[in-house]
Amino acid sequence: MKKLVLIFASILLGITCINAQTYKTREATIAFNPNKDQAHKDYAAESKEATAVLKVETADVALLVPMKTFHFNNALLEEHFNENYLHTDKIPNATYKGKLIGFTKEMLAKDGVYKISSEGQVTLHGVTKTFKAPVKLEVKGKTAIFYCDFGVKAEDYSIDIPGIVKPKLADETPIQTVIKFQLN
Amino acid sequence: MKKLFLYTFLVMGVYAAQAQDDLLGGLVKEDAAVVKQNITSATFKSTRLINMQSVEMTGAGNLQFMISHHFGQIWQKNAGLQNVAQMFGLNAGVANTYLAVDYSPNKWLNLGAASTGNSQFEGWAKFRIIRQQTGKKNIPVTVDWFSSFHADATAGPSISDNAWNRFSYLNQLLVARKFNDNFSLQVMGSLIHNNINTYGVNNTNNTVSVGIGGRYKLTRKSAFTLEYSRQLNNYKNLIDETGTVYSYKPDLLSLGYDWDTGGHIFQFFISNTSMASNFTQLTTNNNKLTAFALGFNLNRSFGIKKVVKVAQ
Repeated sequence: MKKLVLIFASILLGITCINAQTYKTREATIAFNPNKDQAHKDYAAESKEATAVLKVETADVALLVPMKTFHFNNALLEEHFNENYLHTDKIPNATYKGKLIGFTKEMLAKDGVYKISSEGQVTLHGVTKTFKAPVKLEVKGKTAIFYCDFGVKAEDYSIDIPGIVKPKLADETPIQTVIKFQLN
Repeated sequence: MKKLFLYTFLVMGVYAAQAQDDLLGGLVKEDAAVVKQNITSATFKSTRLINMQSVEMTGAGNLQFMISHHFGQIWQKNAGLQNVAQMFGLNAGVANTYLAVDYSPNKWLNLGAASTGNSQFEGWAKFRIIRQQTGKKNIPVTVDWFSSFHADATAGPSISDNAWNRFSYLNQLLVARKFNDNFSLQVMGSLIHNNINTYGVNNTNNTVSVGIGGRYKLTRKSAFTLEYSRQLNNYKNLIDETGTVYSYKPDLLSLGYDWDTGGHIFQFFISNTSMASNFTQLTTNNNKLTAFALGFNLNRSFGIKKVVKVAQ
């Protein structure tokens, strides 16, 4: 009898696990413009192939960005980005693991714009640092879009910018992420 | 009953703690499971090895400007101190400038045009045939095809001089391999066809040349380069219009240093030729192997076709 109850409980547990709602997208967009003069977009790049996953019950988020998917207008710039700055052959991905603060699953059910934030850990160029930034959530019908703008300092992540290029770049590179989930 | 509650809570607790790690872990595992295509990039720093074309192509949608300059011989025998006065060939009155512009409409084609000095012009098409890659497909080398024509626009002997006589064609196969981050090697085979040639038993319209070259990266931004080409025919005991027998030197050796400043790539080299065009370098070289001359290549590329539209 005891064994039966134990088995029954484990199955119940299993069912609740399956019920945990998780949303995933493989087309999250990350864009950045490292120019000191933000009006000039010569060095700007963007990736439209980042993978993001959100677990609604626990407000956990994870993001995986394949660095080679960042494309620049100038092919030589892209080559330098991969070969000299980010060493993408050795460190192919950047990741984020964190929680959404102030997020409730009811937000996904009602159309609107919500101001929340996210806290977690970013791993870029093999270096992990704590992360905290405001997030804007826009829910409209069957889609939920998370917008997060934040700044990254190259030296924080051991990214070596040569002296000849440094004066042209901003001290803190602004990055914009747009993650769109399809709600079912 | 108590034990049952304890058991279920324990399991649930462990599950909750693992949840956050599992989320990223799941993505990482999924990413690792995908067999990717790793295309080798930057086999060389520039689209020119030293004098010859390298397998590198100007990026898709990018426009490249290149200046290639050859000076006079560094040390002329019997000229003594004059060599110093002429700054080892830099100020010797010999300066052959090659001005080129090229554009790649896509990833596998590059079109260019150049002026090689003395009313001579060249135009070319460079094709990327296969790219070195690992992962989904394993291909050990990058192979390019280079086709170029050379037009001689100097004032001709008479108005009735046939325009076709002024053209020469170069067709080249380039095969290169990036062995590791620091070392790349390239071999090339060239066929040069001159539409007109003086009649002579050893003279021919088609010249064949083979070459080998490589680069060794010294630092992230600099590299040492070496290039050697050997003409296989059409250089020994040729006859000109007056019946004089003459010969060319079949070897072309160059040693260079590449310096990448980010926006520009400077290539400084010594080469046993003062000529600016591959056509003359590979078929009518008068310098013997030790008669070196200084030269440099300078190129800059611009992103013309916008692939990134950053909204701000």
